Amino acid sequence: MKTEVKQENDITIVAVSESVDALTAADLTKTISDQISDGRVNLVVDLAGVEFMSSAGLRTLLGAVKESRSAGGDLRIVSSNPGVDKVLKMSGFHNIAKVFTSSAQAVASFSA
Amino acid sequence: MAETFRITRAAYLESLGDFRKFLKEHCKDVNAETLYDLQLAVDEACTNVITHGYADMDPGSIILDLELDSDSISITLTDFGRAFEPGAAPTPDVDAPIEERELGGFGLFFIQQSVDQMDYKATEDGNKMILRKLLKPPSSAGLH
Repeated sequence: MKTEVKQENDITIVAVSESVDALTAADLTKTISDQISDGRVNLVVDLAGVEFMSSAGLRTLLGAVKESRSAGGDLRIVSSNPGVDKVLKMSGFHNIAKVFTSSAQAVASFSA
Repeated sequence: MAETFRITRAAYLESLGDFRKFLKEHCKDVNAETLYDLQLAVDEACTNVITHGYADMDPGSIILDLELDSDSISITLTDFGRAFEPGAAPTPDVDAPIEERELGGFGLFFIQQSVDQMDYKATEDGNKMILRKLLKPPSSAGLH
């Protein structure tokens, strides 16, 4: 798994690629958590480059949504891989957080 | 006639990627959705074995036996750790609001959602989880 963090105005984008499984999910949890601790509470987690995500990744995302909202912000998701999307849908994730198909849409949604 | 393949790996989280790669290499003729379902079911089952089955003991091995038939794919995962009780795991509430959400508990649920049949038995030759996925005819293949 690889992550790249970038800033667009007040929004922090965490772009993830390769696989988020039980081995790598902890690194993603830490990356997102570090942002929130530093006061960057409005986040977009971009999963467009993710080839595979298991329930371990979902666990990370659920925890991160809770953490960002507790800090007064929000976390939104970008998903375009049909497999990753299915994992989000099976878990009812769409009822909990906003899911977009592009990073631009997700970033724009914060100012809507 | 069915084709069979086998991979054996140590029960470490580092092995998860090897199992996924093995499935991708051998399930060449299935669509992307079916491959993802198989990889997800195997990943969740192996994660369970690694983190619970072999917890507090020296990690042993996980054997994956793959059987490709014209109308189905069967996978048998064998481990030698503690047996798990599929009936003991609660089904997650996927409609619950975030405040009431547990973070975990999706592993077994995802396995059940991803394959058509799941059997589990603890035998003298190890614990065996048997997963079976029916292959759809090409006309109905693809993600919906």
